[in-house]
Amino acid sequence: MHKHSGINCFIPPHILKNIATKGTESQKVLAIDTLKISAQMRGRRQALADFSAATFRVAAGGKDRIVYDAKNGSSLPGAIVRREGEAASADVAVNEAYDGSGVTYDLYNDVYKRNSIDASGMRLDSTVHYRTGYDNAFWDGEQMVYGDGDENLPVDERLFNRFTIALDVIGHELTHGVTQFEAKLTYFQQPGALNESMSDVFGSLVKQYQLAQTAAQADWIIGAGLLTANVNGVGIRSMKAPGTAYDDPVLGKDPQPAHMKDYVTTISDNGGVHINSGIPNHAFYITAVELGGNAWERAGQIWYVTLKDKLTADSKFQDCANLTYQVAGELFGAGSIEQQAVKKGWAEVGLTVAGGGPPPPPEPGGCLAALLRLLGAAPSR
Amino acid sequence: MKVERITFERSGGFAGMHNVVNIDPRDLPKEQAEALLERLDELDFDKLPAQAMKKPSMPDEITYRITVETKDGEHTVVTGDTSAPEEMQELIQMLSRIARKQAQNKK
Repeated sequence: MHKHSGINCFIPPHILKNIATKGTESQKVLAIDTLKISAQMRGRRQALADFSAATFRVAAGGKDRIVYDAKNGSSLPGAIVRREGEAASADVAVNEAYDGSGVTYDLYNDVYKRNSIDASGMRLDSTVHYRTGYDNAFWDGEQMVYGDGDENLPVDERLFNRFTIALDVIGHELTHGVTQFEAKLTYFQQPGALNESMSDVFGSLVKQYQLAQTAAQADWIIGAGLLTANVNGVGIRSMKAPGTAYDDPVLGKDPQPAHMKDYVTTISDNGGVHINSGIPNHAFYITAVELGGNAWERAGQIWYVTLKDKLTADSKFQDCANLTYQVAGELFGAGSIEQQAVKKGWAEVGLTVAGGGPPPPPEPGGCLAALLRLLGAAPSR
Repeated sequence: MKVERITFERSGGFAGMHNVVNIDPRDLPKEQAEALLERLDELDFDKLPAQAMKKPSMPDEITYRITVETKDGEHTVVTGDTSAPEEMQELIQMLSRIARKQAQNKK
């Protein structure tokens, strides 16, 4: 590389890596961005591996979990009922939250070299028994929260079981945390549906990783076990066949589309974030099945790097298609079977990938200006 | 406030379940109708802000859209299950119970 530009000519990567781990918050951000550009320019797996090792070095301890009990109230986080390393509880929801967040941690740590949701060893807090008759789970920006479903209704009227029952629900909620620290996808319309889809993708991968299932063996159902026997349905969403997870007189029919031609325009559900996520979900499923083997390995790696380094708050489906294709090229080579699989995945949901050429050059501005910005001596743009 | 109709819509949440029910208080059991109308009065519903939702939205929070129609017009409030102020929680629970019953009856 002869054309010196940006910050790369000036500051050796090892210094940037030091800044990335030891600098102030704003210095870290700038150093990491610079490392990303550097990695993009060098283009290949080794550069990304160097970057991962520098950025995601264990800052604090390893896995650290706390489970709280809201005791059917709405105050968060509630009373501590199980800490990291403590023996199992007599309460099944407590153990499911503990074990489920543990497996989620393991997938991110072991496979993607990410130390917890913030990549810096953040403690994983979960609250169970939130309110009564609460058929939902959510990420409140700091922790996971789980309801018990319809435990307060007569058995023959219950539709939902407790939300910790499905491991992919736990992976889903924690991935909202990862997205919050990385792409920060706005929770509205297409960026929101991508946010939801990322949570479903990694939620499903957590379950597949735990069960050691290949893409062909996995059920690709989100929330299997969550619906009671009173409901005609196998789960909440199907990545394999969006729109087919349930069809029930009380709950209605699974509204998810699997193709852009069926995209749902609505003001409900933050612009259909849980509806249109079926489209990118299915693109991931096709990619993973096309590649075969364990979905968390190649397909998951492509989606993870895209979430971490490429997507931004306002990214749309087409951006995600282009960027996953680009990442597949960077990780596995242009024209590789991985890149072809990504292209096929998006094609089957009605999106044609664009790009795949060389990444854009770093922003101009000169080495001195870049260094000054990095050290905080000049206002950032 | 003479309530003619209440429209209660639930969307979002992890499960993304969407349902809309129209409630005519005159069709409800007397006690339930009275409790509901009393709650709306106490809340001064038609003066509540139209948006009672935290921004940015919390992932997987359930969204509620409540419209109350009277002879003089209608008022809609959009809120979420954790965003909703404490004083609205009881109203949401009442409406959820009615909606659930209506869905069960359709079965």
